[in-house]
Amino acid sequence: MASAGSGDEKAATVTLISSDNEHFEVPEAVATLSQTIRHMIEDGCTDGGVPLPNVTGRILAKVLEYCNKHAAASDKDELEKFDKAFVDIDDQATLFDLVMAANYLDIRGMLDLTCQTIADMIKGKSVEEIRETFNIKNDFTPEEEAEIRRENQWAFDD
Amino acid sequence: MGAVASSARGGRGGEGTVLGDLPESCVAEVLLRLDPPEICRMARLSRTFRGAASGDGVWESKLPRNYARLLAVAAAGDGGERQAAAAAALEAESLPKKEVYARLCRRTRFDGGKKEFWLDKGGRGICMSISSMALSITGIDDRRYWNFIPNDESRFHTVAYLSQIWWFEVRGEVEFCFPEGTYSLFYRVHLGRPFKRLGRRVCSSEHIHGWDIKPVRFQMSTSDGQQAQSKCYLTDPGVWINHHVGDFVVKDSSKPTNIRFAMIQIDCTHTKGGLCVDSVVVKPQYLRQKKLTRCYV
Repeated sequence: MASAGSGDEKAATVTLISSDNEHFEVPEAVATLSQTIRHMIEDGCTDGGVPLPNVTGRILAKVLEYCNKHAAASDKDELEKFDKAFVDIDDQATLFDLVMAANYLDIRGMLDLTCQTIADMIKGKSVEEIRETFNIKNDFTPEEEAEIRRENQWAFDD
Repeated sequence: MGAVASSARGGRGGEGTVLGDLPESCVAEVLLRLDPPEICRMARLSRTFRGAASGDGVWESKLPRNYARLLAVAAAGDGGERQAAAAAALEAESLPKKEVYARLCRRTRFDGGKKEFWLDKGGRGICMSISSMALSITGIDDRRYWNFIPNDESRFHTVAYLSQIWWFEVRGEVEFCFPEGTYSLFYRVHLGRPFKRLGRRVCSSEHIHGWDIKPVRFQMSTSDGQQAQSKCYLTDPGVWINHHVGDFVVKDSSKPTNIRFAMIQIDCTHTKGGLCVDSVVVKPQYLRQKKLTRCYV
Protein backbone atom coordinates (compact mmCIF):
# COMPACT_ATOMS: atom_id res chain seq x y z
CA MET A 1 0.00 0.00 0.00
CA ALA A 2 1.28 3.43 -0.81
CA SER A 3 1.90 5.99 1.89
CA ALA A 4 -1.36 7.14 3.43
CA GLY A 5 -2.35 10.80 3.11
CA SER A 6 -3.14 13.05 6.05
CA GLY A 7 -6.43 12.40 7.82
CA ASP A 8 -5.82 8.65 7.77
CA GLU A 9 -5.64 7.25 11.30
CA LYS A 10 -3.16 4.59 10.29
CA ALA A 11 0.51 5.74 10.46
CA ALA A 12 2.19 6.19 7.10
CA THR A 13 3.78 3.02 5.79
CA VAL A 14 5.95 2.06 2.89
CA THR A 15 6.29 -1.31 1.16
CA LEU A 16 9.75 -2.76 0.67
CA ILE A 17 10.20 -5.50 -1.93
CA SER A 18 13.17 -7.83 -1.56
CA SER A 19 15.17 -9.28 -4.47
CA ASP A 20 13.21 -12.54 -4.15
CA ASN A 21 9.91 -10.66 -4.26
CA GLU A 22 8.93 -10.74 -0.60
CA HIS A 23 6.86 -7.76 0.41
CA PHE A 24 7.31 -6.02 3.74
CA GLU A 25 4.94 -3.27 4.84
CA VAL A 26 6.85 -1.06 7.22
CA PRO A 27 5.95 2.12 9.13
CA GLU A 28 7.76 5.11 7.62
CA ALA A 29 9.22 5.97 11.00
CA VAL A 30 11.03 2.63 10.97
CA ALA A 31 11.94 2.59 7.28
CA THR A 32 13.51 6.02 7.42
CA LEU A 33 16.33 4.70 9.57
CA SER A 34 17.62 3.97 6.10
CA GLN A 35 18.77 7.25 4.55
CA THR A 36 18.33 5.72 1.13
CA ILE A 37 14.66 5.01 1.76
CA ARG A 38 14.20 8.35 3.51
CA HIS A 39 15.35 10.19 0.39
CA MET A 40 13.05 8.13 -1.77
CA ILE A 41 10.08 8.95 0.46
CA GLU A 42 11.00 12.63 0.39
CA ASP A 43 11.24 12.50 -3.38
CA GLY A 44 7.82 10.90 -3.48
CA CYS A 45 8.78 7.81 -5.47
CA THR A 46 7.55 5.10 -3.14
CA ASP A 47 4.15 4.49 -4.73
CA GLY A 48 3.73 0.83 -5.48
CA GLY A 49 6.55 -0.09 -3.16
CA VAL A 50 10.30 0.22 -3.12
CA PRO A 51 12.18 -2.55 -4.90
CA LEU A 52 15.45 -3.53 -3.23
CA PRO A 53 17.18 -5.75 -5.78
CA ASN A 54 20.31 -6.03 -3.65
CA VAL A 55 18.70 -7.43 -0.52
CA THR A 56 17.11 -10.85 -0.09
CA GLY A 57 13.97 -11.36 1.97
CA ARG A 58 15.87 -13.22 4.66
CA ILE A 59 18.33 -10.37 5.14
CA LEU A 60 15.69 -7.67 4.83
CA ALA A 61 13.77 -9.30 7.66
CA LYS A 62 16.84 -9.04 9.87
CA VAL A 63 17.44 -5.43 8.82
CA LEU A 64 13.89 -4.58 9.75
CA GLU A 65 14.35 -6.32 13.09
CA TYR A 66 17.19 -3.84 13.73
CA CYS A 67 15.23 -0.84 12.49
CA ASN A 68 12.13 -1.75 14.49
CA LYS A 69 14.13 -2.00 17.69
CA HIS A 70 16.11 1.18 17.13
CA ALA A 71 13.12 3.26 16.05
CA ALA A 72 11.16 2.25 19.15
CA ALA A 73 13.52 1.79 22.08
CA SER A 74 15.29 4.65 23.75
CA ASP A 75 17.00 2.90 26.65
CA LYS A 76 20.73 2.83 25.94
CA ASP A 77 21.41 -0.37 27.88
CA GLU A 78 18.51 -2.14 26.21
CA LEU A 79 19.79 -1.17 22.77
CA GLU A 80 23.30 -2.28 23.68
CA LYS A 81 22.05 -5.68 24.73
CA PHE A 82 20.02 -5.96 21.55
CA ASP A 83 22.97 -4.97 19.35
CA LYS A 84 25.24 -7.49 21.01
CA ALA A 85 22.74 -10.29 20.41
CA PHE A 86 22.04 -9.03 16.89
CA VAL A 87 25.62 -9.61 15.74
CA ASP A 88 26.12 -12.81 17.67
CA ILE A 89 25.82 -14.84 14.48
CA ASP A 90 27.56 -18.10 13.75
CA ASP A 91 27.03 -17.64 10.05
CA GLN A 92 29.62 -15.26 8.61
CA ALA A 93 27.76 -14.99 5.32
CA THR A 94 24.79 -13.40 7.08
CA LEU A 95 27.07 -10.91 8.78
CA PHE A 96 28.58 -9.84 5.45
CA ASP A 97 25.14 -9.65 3.83
CA LEU A 98 24.09 -7.35 6.66
CA VAL A 99 27.14 -5.12 6.09
CA MET A 100 26.28 -4.80 2.42
CA ALA A 101 22.61 -4.16 3.16
CA ALA A 102 23.52 -1.51 5.74
CA ASN A 103 25.84 0.11 3.20
CA TYR A 104 23.28 0.00 0.38
CA LEU A 105 20.42 1.20 2.56
CA ASP A 106 22.67 3.70 4.35
CA ILE A 107 21.79 2.73 7.92
CA ARG A 108 24.64 4.28 9.87
CA GLY A 109 24.11 2.54 13.19
CA MET A 110 23.87 -0.91 11.65
CA LEU A 111 26.91 -0.27 9.46
CA ASP A 112 28.92 0.79 12.54
CA LEU A 113 27.77 -2.26 14.47
CA THR A 114 28.45 -4.87 11.78
CA CYS A 115 31.77 -3.37 10.64
CA GLN A 116 32.99 -3.11 14.22
CA THR A 117 32.09 -6.77 14.71
CA ILE A 118 34.19 -7.76 11.72
CA ALA A 119 37.04 -5.52 12.86
CA ASP A 120 36.94 -7.23 16.25
CA MET A 121 37.21 -10.61 14.52
CA ILE A 122 40.33 -9.37 12.75
CA LYS A 123 42.14 -7.78 15.69
CA GLY A 124 44.97 -9.73 17.18
CA LYS A 125 45.16 -12.26 14.36
CA SER A 126 48.12 -12.94 12.13
CA VAL A 127 47.80 -12.78 8.35
CA GLU A 128 47.45 -16.55 8.13
CA GLU A 129 44.85 -16.66 10.85
CA ILE A 130 42.81 -13.94 9.14
CA ARG A 131 42.95 -15.85 5.85
CA GLU A 132 41.77 -18.98 7.61
CA THR A 133 38.97 -17.30 9.55
CA PHE A 134 37.53 -15.66 6.48
CA ASN A 135 38.47 -18.15 3.82
CA ILE A 136 40.50 -15.66 1.82
CA LYS A 137 42.53 -16.94 -1.04
CA ASN A 138 46.07 -15.67 -1.36
CA ASP A 139 46.19 -14.56 -4.98
CA PHE A 140 49.67 -13.02 -4.89
CA THR A 141 52.68 -14.35 -6.70
CA PRO A 142 55.67 -14.99 -4.40
CA GLU A 143 57.35 -11.87 -5.81
CA GLU A 144 54.29 -9.75 -5.17
CA GLU A 145 54.06 -11.10 -1.65
CA ALA A 146 57.67 -10.21 -0.92
CA GLU A 147 57.13 -6.72 -2.31
CA ILE A 148 54.06 -6.13 -0.18
CA ARG A 149 55.80 -7.40 2.92
CA ARG A 150 58.61 -4.91 2.25
CA GLU A 151 56.36 -1.96 1.62
CA ASN A 152 54.44 -2.56 4.82
CA GLN A 153 57.38 -3.44 7.02
CA TRP A 154 57.57 0.09 8.43
CA ALA A 155 54.42 -0.60 10.44
CA PHE A 156 56.11 -3.40 12.33
CA ASP A 157 59.64 -2.09 12.81
CA ASP A 158 60.57 -0.22 15.92
CA MET B 1 28.79 -9.04 -6.24
CA GLY B 2 29.40 -12.52 -7.60
CA ALA B 3 28.66 -15.65 -5.68
CA VAL B 4 31.81 -17.36 -4.53
CA ALA B 5 31.96 -21.06 -3.89
CA SER B 6 33.50 -21.02 -0.45
CA SER B 7 31.62 -22.04 2.64
CA ALA B 8 31.05 -19.66 5.48
CA ARG B 9 32.00 -20.88 8.91
CA GLY B 10 28.99 -22.64 10.32
CA GLY B 11 26.83 -21.71 7.34
CA ARG B 12 25.35 -23.81 4.62
CA GLY B 13 28.16 -25.35 2.67
CA GLY B 14 28.97 -24.43 -0.91
CA GLU B 15 27.37 -20.99 -1.14
CA GLY B 16 27.53 -17.86 0.91
CA THR B 17 28.93 -14.37 0.99
CA VAL B 18 32.51 -14.16 2.12
CA LEU B 19 34.62 -11.24 3.25
CA GLY B 20 36.19 -11.06 -0.17
CA ASP B 21 32.78 -10.33 -1.70
CA LEU B 22 32.39 -7.05 0.11
CA PRO B 23 32.64 -3.98 -2.12
CA GLU B 24 35.66 -1.77 -1.47
CA SER B 25 33.55 0.85 0.31
CA CYS B 26 32.48 -1.75 2.88
CA VAL B 27 36.00 -3.06 3.32
CA ALA B 28 37.09 0.54 3.90
CA GLU B 29 34.48 0.86 6.65
CA VAL B 30 35.99 -2.15 8.40
CA LEU B 31 39.56 -0.88 7.92
CA LEU B 32 38.65 2.47 9.49
CA ARG B 33 38.09 0.56 12.71
CA LEU B 34 41.54 -1.06 12.72
CA ASP B 35 44.81 0.55 13.76
CA PRO B 36 47.58 1.21 11.21
CA PRO B 37 49.65 -1.93 11.82
CA GLU B 38 46.48 -4.02 11.45
CA ILE B 39 45.60 -2.22 8.20
CA CYS B 40 49.06 -3.00 6.86
CA ARG B 41 48.52 -6.62 7.82
CA MET B 42 45.26 -6.61 5.84
CA ALA B 43 47.15 -5.39 2.76
CA ARG B 44 48.95 -8.72 2.68
CA LEU B 45 45.78 -10.83 2.44
CA SER B 46 44.90 -10.58 -1.24
CA ARG B 47 44.78 -8.18 -4.16
CA THR B 48 41.39 -6.79 -3.21
CA PHE B 49 42.53 -6.03 0.33
CA ARG B 50 45.80 -4.57 -0.85
CA GLY B 51 43.83 -1.98 -2.82
CA ALA B 52 41.43 -1.17 -0.02
CA ALA B 53 44.24 -0.98 2.53
CA SER B 54 45.98 1.72 0.49
CA GLY B 55 42.94 3.95 0.24
CA ASP B 56 43.48 7.61 1.01
CA GLY B 57 40.18 7.78 2.88
CA VAL B 58 41.31 5.18 5.37
CA TRP B 59 44.76 6.69 6.01
CA GLU B 60 43.60 10.26 6.17
CA SER B 61 41.40 9.30 9.09
CA LYS B 62 44.48 7.99 10.90
CA LEU B 63 46.64 11.06 10.35
CA PRO B 64 46.75 13.87 12.89
CA ARG B 65 44.84 16.91 11.78
CA ASN B 66 47.94 19.02 11.24
CA TYR B 67 49.79 16.40 9.21
CA ALA B 68 50.65 18.84 6.42
CA ARG B 69 52.54 21.04 8.86
CA LEU B 70 54.29 18.06 10.45
CA LEU B 71 55.29 16.88 7.00
CA ALA B 72 56.84 20.28 6.30
CA VAL B 73 58.92 19.98 9.48
CA ALA B 74 59.91 16.48 8.40
CA ALA B 75 60.88 17.72 4.95
CA ALA B 76 62.97 20.53 6.43
CA GLY B 77 64.57 18.00 8.72
CA ASP B 78 65.40 15.84 5.72
CA GLY B 79 67.89 18.51 4.80
CA GLY B 80 65.84 20.76 2.55
CA GLU B 81 66.04 24.53 2.46
CA ARG B 82 63.08 26.56 3.59
CA GLN B 83 61.79 26.89 0.04
CA ALA B 84 62.10 23.18 -0.48
CA ALA B 85 60.16 22.60 2.72
CA ALA B 86 57.35 24.81 1.46
CA ALA B 87 57.34 22.95 -1.83
CA ALA B 88 57.29 19.70 0.10
CA ALA B 89 54.25 20.90 2.00
CA LEU B 90 52.45 21.51 -1.28
CA GLU B 91 53.50 18.08 -2.39
CA ALA B 92 52.00 16.67 0.77
CA GLU B 93 48.60 17.14 -0.75
CA SER B 94 49.46 14.90 -3.69
CA LEU B 95 51.26 12.17 -1.74
CA PRO B 96 49.23 9.06 -0.97
CA LYS B 97 48.13 9.41 2.62
CA LYS B 98 49.59 6.03 3.52
CA GLU B 99 53.01 7.31 2.48
CA VAL B 100 52.50 10.45 4.53
CA TYR B 101 51.69 8.28 7.52
CA ALA B 102 54.71 6.04 7.00
CA ARG B 103 57.00 9.07 6.62
CA LEU B 104 55.76 10.67 9.82
CA CYS B 105 56.31 7.41 11.71
CA ARG B 106 60.01 7.65 10.88
CA ARG B 107 61.99 9.70 13.34
CA THR B 108 62.79 13.24 12.17
CA ARG B 109 65.61 15.32 13.65
CA PHE B 110 65.13 19.03 14.01
CA ASP B 111 66.62 21.98 15.88
CA GLY B 112 70.14 21.26 14.76
CA GLY B 113 69.72 17.54 15.25
CA LYS B 114 69.20 17.84 19.01
CA LYS B 115 65.53 16.97 19.00
CA GLU B 116 63.54 14.37 17.17
CA PHE B 117 59.86 13.62 16.69
CA TRP B 118 57.83 10.78 15.25
CA LEU B 119 54.22 9.70 14.92
CA ASP B 120 53.23 6.81 17.12
CA LYS B 121 52.36 3.89 14.84
CA GLY B 122 49.37 2.73 16.78
CA GLY B 123 47.59 6.00 17.24
CA ARG B 124 47.56 9.65 16.38
CA GLY B 125 49.95 11.12 18.89
CA ILE B 126 53.39 12.59 18.37
CA CYS B 127 56.37 11.37 20.39
CA MET B 128 59.36 13.58 20.93
CA SER B 129 62.83 13.15 22.32
CA ILE B 130 64.86 16.21 23.40
CA SER B 131 68.55 15.48 23.78
CA SER B 132 70.59 16.53 26.79
CA MET B 133 72.54 18.69 24.33
CA ALA B 134 69.41 20.83 23.88
CA LEU B 135 68.90 21.31 27.60
CA SER B 136 70.13 24.20 29.78
CA ILE B 137 72.28 22.54 32.40
CA THR B 138 73.72 24.71 35.14
CA GLY B 139 77.46 24.20 35.28
CA ILE B 140 77.66 22.29 32.01
CA ASP B 141 80.79 24.17 31.01
CA ASP B 142 82.70 23.06 34.06
CA ARG B 143 84.28 19.68 33.50
CA ARG B 144 84.61 19.15 37.23
CA TYR B 145 80.84 18.90 37.35
CA TRP B 146 79.43 17.83 33.99
CA ASN B 147 80.75 16.09 30.88
CA PHE B 148 79.12 14.93 27.73
CA ILE B 149 80.05 11.29 27.25
CA PRO B 150 79.33 8.90 24.38
CA ASN B 151 76.62 6.34 25.07
CA ASP B 152 75.00 4.00 22.59
CA GLU B 153 71.97 3.49 24.80
CA SER B 154 70.96 7.02 23.88
CA ARG B 155 69.16 7.90 20.63
CA PHE B 156 71.61 10.78 20.32
CA HIS B 157 74.65 8.67 21.23
CA THR B 158 75.61 11.26 23.84
CA VAL B 159 74.47 11.83 27.40
CA ALA B 160 75.36 14.42 30.00
CA TYR B 161 77.14 12.87 32.98
CA LEU B 162 77.29 14.55 36.36
CA SER B 163 80.24 13.76 38.62
CA GLN B 164 79.18 16.03 41.43
CA ILE B 165 77.59 19.42 42.03
CA TRP B 166 75.86 21.45 44.71
CA TRP B 167 73.38 23.15 42.44
CA PHE B 168 71.62 20.64 40.21
CA GLU B 169 69.38 22.27 37.64
CA VAL B 170 68.47 20.90 34.21
CA ARG B 171 66.00 23.00 32.25
CA GLY B 172 64.62 22.92 28.76
CA GLU B 173 62.01 24.24 26.42
CA VAL B 174 60.32 23.12 23.24
CA GLU B 175 57.83 24.74 20.91
CA PHE B 176 55.96 22.47 18.53
CA CYS B 177 52.62 22.01 16.84
CA PHE B 178 51.52 18.95 18.73
CA PRO B 179 48.36 17.30 17.38
CA GLU B 180 45.35 17.51 19.69
CA GLY B 181 45.49 15.16 22.63
CA THR B 182 46.96 14.60 26.06
CA TYR B 183 50.69 14.12 26.46
CA SER B 184 53.03 12.98 29.24
CA LEU B 185 56.50 14.39 29.81
CA PHE B 186 59.44 12.48 31.28
CA TYR B 187 63.08 12.96 32.16
CA ARG B 188 65.13 9.96 31.07
CA VAL B 189 67.99 9.47 33.53
CA HIS B 190 70.34 6.77 34.79
CA LEU B 191 72.09 6.50 38.13
CA GLY B 192 75.65 5.42 37.58
CA ARG B 193 77.83 5.51 34.52
CA PRO B 194 77.30 2.70 32.02
CA PHE B 195 80.13 1.47 29.87
CA LYS B 196 81.31 -1.66 28.12
CA ARG B 197 84.01 -3.93 29.43
CA LEU B 198 85.02 -6.85 27.25
CA GLY B 199 81.76 -6.50 25.31
CA ARG B 200 79.56 -6.67 28.40
CA ARG B 201 77.55 -3.82 29.84
CA VAL B 202 78.85 -2.65 33.18
CA CYS B 203 77.80 0.22 35.40
CA SER B 204 80.12 2.27 37.55
CA SER B 205 78.57 3.64 40.71
CA GLU B 206 81.69 5.49 41.85
CA HIS B 207 80.14 8.96 41.85
CA ILE B 208 76.61 8.11 42.98
CA HIS B 209 75.73 10.09 46.08
CA GLY B 210 73.33 12.63 47.50
CA TRP B 211 70.09 11.52 45.88
CA ASP B 212 68.69 9.94 48.99
CA ILE B 213 69.05 13.03 51.15
CA LYS B 214 66.47 15.28 49.57
CA PRO B 215 64.11 14.51 46.67
CA VAL B 216 64.55 15.87 43.19
CA ARG B 217 61.78 18.19 41.98
CA PHE B 218 60.31 18.07 38.49
CA GLN B 219 58.26 20.90 36.99
CA MET B 220 56.62 21.76 33.72
CA SER B 221 54.44 24.52 32.35
CA THR B 222 52.87 25.38 29.02
CA SER B 223 52.34 28.67 27.24
CA ASP B 224 48.60 28.40 27.85
CA GLY B 225 48.95 28.13 31.60
CA GLN B 226 49.00 24.41 32.32
CA GLN B 227 51.36 23.32 35.04
CA ALA B 228 52.48 20.15 36.72
CA GLN B 229 55.08 19.05 39.18
CA SER B 230 56.31 15.99 40.95
CA LYS B 231 59.19 14.94 43.13
CA CYS B 232 60.97 11.78 44.12
CA TYR B 233 64.18 10.34 45.48
CA LEU B 234 66.36 8.87 42.76
CA THR B 235 67.00 5.19 43.35
CA ASP B 236 67.82 2.03 41.38
CA PRO B 237 71.23 2.50 39.83
CA GLY B 238 72.06 0.72 36.60
CA VAL B 239 68.81 1.19 34.71
CA TRP B 240 67.33 3.97 32.60
CA ILE B 241 64.29 5.42 34.25
CA ASN B 242 61.67 7.73 32.73
CA HIS B 243 60.59 10.02 35.56
CA HIS B 244 57.09 11.30 34.92
CA VAL B 245 56.89 15.06 35.35
CA GLY B 246 53.27 15.60 34.41
CA ASP B 247 50.74 15.76 31.61
CA PHE B 248 49.49 18.52 29.35
CA VAL B 249 46.58 18.86 26.97
CA VAL B 250 46.73 20.27 23.45
CA LYS B 251 43.41 21.56 22.18
CA ASP B 252 44.43 23.31 18.96
CA SER B 253 47.02 21.74 16.71
CA SER B 254 47.21 24.75 14.39
CA LYS B 255 48.98 26.80 17.06
CA PRO B 256 52.37 25.82 18.45
CA THR B 257 52.47 24.70 22.07
CA ASN B 258 55.42 25.96 24.10
CA ILE B 259 56.49 23.79 27.02
CA ARG B 260 59.09 24.52 29.66
CA PHE B 261 60.38 21.91 32.04
CA ALA B 262 62.92 21.57 34.80
CA MET B 263 64.59 19.00 37.03
CA ILE B 264 66.02 20.61 40.14
CA GLN B 265 67.83 19.76 43.32
CA ILE B 266 69.40 22.93 44.68
CA ASP B 267 69.70 22.23 48.37
CA CYS B 268 73.26 23.34 48.83
CA THR B 269 73.86 21.60 52.11
CA HIS B 270 74.88 18.51 50.17
CA THR B 271 76.38 17.59 46.82
CA LYS B 272 74.95 15.02 44.48
CA GLY B 273 76.39 13.15 41.53
CA GLY B 274 76.81 9.98 39.52
CA LEU B 275 73.90 10.69 37.22
CA CYS B 276 73.44 10.43 33.43
CA VAL B 277 70.84 12.69 31.88
CA ASP B 278 69.90 11.42 28.43
CA SER B 279 66.85 13.32 27.33
CA VAL B 280 63.41 14.68 27.97
CA VAL B 281 60.69 12.59 26.38
CA VAL B 282 57.15 13.55 25.39
CA LYS B 283 54.66 10.80 24.58
CA PRO B 284 50.91 10.57 24.12
CA GLN B 285 49.33 9.77 27.45
CA TYR B 286 47.77 6.57 26.11
CA LEU B 287 51.25 5.10 25.70
CA ARG B 288 52.06 5.53 29.36
CA GLN B 289 50.07 2.51 30.36
CA LYS B 290 51.56 0.33 27.67
CA LYS B 291 55.25 0.77 28.30
CA LEU B 292 57.15 0.11 31.48
CA THR B 293 58.57 3.28 32.89
CA ARG B 294 61.70 1.41 33.87
CA CYS B 295 63.72 -0.31 31.23
CA TYR B 296 67.20 -1.59 31.06
CA VAL B 297 68.22 0.17 27.88
